[in-house]
Amino acid sequence: MKSKALAAVGVTVAAALALTGCSAAGGSSSGDSTKLHIYAWSGEIPDSVIKGFEKETGITVTVDNFDSNETMISKLAAGNSGYDIVEPSQYAVPLMVERDLLAKVDKSKLDGFDNLAEKFVDPSFDPDNGYSIPWAWGTTGILYNEACTGAPVTGWKDLWNEKYKGKIYMLDNMLSAYIGGMQVEGLSATSTKKADIEKGTQALLDQKPLLAGYNSDNYADLVATGDACIAEAYSGTSSAKAVAANPDVHYILPEEGGTLWTDSFSIVKGTANESAAYKWLNYTLQPEVAALLTDDASLASTNQAALELVKDQTQVTNPAIYAPADSLDNAEFIVDPGKALAYYQDGWTRVRAS
Amino acid sequence: MDRVVAWFSRLIFVFLYLPIVALVVYSLNASEVSYRWEGVSLRWYVELFADRLLLETLRTSLIVGLVSALLATALGFLSSTALVRFRVKGRGVFLGAILIPLIVPEIVLGVSLLTVFSTAGIPTGFVTLILGHTVITLPLATLVQMGAMSSLDPSLPEAAADLGAGAWTTFRRVTFPLLRPAVLAAFLLSFATSFGNIVISTFTSGVGTTTLPLRIYSQLKSGLTPELNALGTLLVLLTLAIILVVGVGQLRRILAGGPASQ
Repeated sequence: MKSKALAAVGVTVAAALALTGCSAAGGSSSGDSTKLHIYAWSGEIPDSVIKGFEKETGITVTVDNFDSNETMISKLAAGNSGYDIVEPSQYAVPLMVERDLLAKVDKSKLDGFDNLAEKFVDPSFDPDNGYSIPWAWGTTGILYNEACTGAPVTGWKDLWNEKYKGKIYMLDNMLSAYIGGMQVEGLSATSTKKADIEKGTQALLDQKPLLAGYNSDNYADLVATGDACIAEAYSGTSSAKAVAANPDVHYILPEEGGTLWTDSFSIVKGTANESAAYKWLNYTLQPEVAALLTDDASLASTNQAALELVKDQTQVTNPAIYAPADSLDNAEFIVDPGKALAYYQDGWTRVRAS
Repeated sequence: MDRVVAWFSRLIFVFLYLPIVALVVYSLNASEVSYRWEGVSLRWYVELFADRLLLETLRTSLIVGLVSALLATALGFLSSTALVRFRVKGRGVFLGAILIPLIVPEIVLGVSLLTVFSTAGIPTGFVTLILGHTVITLPLATLVQMGAMSSLDPSLPEAAADLGAGAWTTFRRVTFPLLRPAVLAAFLLSFATSFGNIVISTFTSGVGTTTLPLRIYSQLKSGLTPELNALGTLLVLLTLAIILVVGVGQLRRILAGGPASQ
């Protein structure tokens, strides 16, 4: 019996090693620049980019993933995190600068910065790109199934339409849900005024009886199958697949505005591998590397010069990946609500509890 | 009435196992989207084995799970021996101290662990992950083994001593064989708890040690991929293999919580 138990453990270990190949990557070690530790959103750095970088520079890369900007910030704020490059979303950049967590980017060490699309140069959340080099971007908009709605959808107001009662989904994320709630009332999605947020809360409360639910996971599948007519949606892989696979499914930015997000690479203050970090920034600024983000991860690249290098050009014309430039005119960058966060949280609690 | 109960329990079985069956079926779906069936294919398994980053997180989870489960089982064995067999002074306090992580919200534990580690200057990584997971698995391992130990007939070691066995021989030949199923149960329970943990891992993981659950959770932003179905299927198969090896009979005794009746 004992040998059997041992065998069970042995099987597990053997399977683990066989599955993963057994090169023991230890924790952090000495600070020579043959290593680079990246802390990023999962799915936003294709394997091909990492492999290419390792091959070109001989630097060994580790990538870890976080589930929210807040997790990443608290890790760095605790100190001693060991990361060299992080990938904050736009609103997290000023928060991190304020907390002195990011190193100023020395532009003279950059090569290829002018490849970035104009929209991402000197953005509102990080003047003069002092601390962040945008990498991926996307939008929050509406995914709908025309076979179900019967007519083209143009804006948030359609998510408040009685006609689609029980077939509407909103994103299960406070600030994302408020984008719809605020903009449908003609307000800025990033307002910090208590009265505005109260109006947004009321809009969400009014909408709730019409909803099939709040959903951030499989709304794209639900819309594609027609189980849902219309949903607040993030651009990116799931929405893009739904659009590409079903001609009735469309992704639009609402006429009231919609929002834009971008995740950037930043250098962690006090990094032990600064030269490797700059090599990473320069490598990912190359158009042929940035194009891999669309090729392999179905995400929009901030690199203007990369667009024509994307292999499957239908991805570039898919609005659920690259929202058309003219529809972006009204789109707002989501920013940190600061102290107003409390008003949002209070309202959101009431919405979810109603 | 009996038939109603029988049907009801069948229904519950369907409810429990349907997700697992669905997972296996979808892992073989050639389509990129889960609502459409495009025939049987192993493409997601191929992609899974090519996804180095995902496999690295799996390896991290397995290493952390195995080591922390071993630690928790060993420590739990020692502490339950002390608490059951000997009238230690302040027994209640010790037991309480071990069990507190069961009651304290995990998020509180996670934050305090991170604070302690960063104050002590220990870089987050395998060591902190394993320590963190041991904290939450220790109470489980201790409780399981304490239950088995207290139901052990105290006259057995006495009889062994009577027959001339020393303390070590008694332990090796009598007590431990009787407790082995409980030890194994404690190990498997600890491993499963560690393997699925998110909260503690969030705070204690570091460079190069993203665990599998953290990776999957992070992927919700960009959408889950069907390779996760393939990975889930492999894990189910692995679990089945372990159950078969350990032996169905033994498992039944483990679930009953008592010592092996040999």
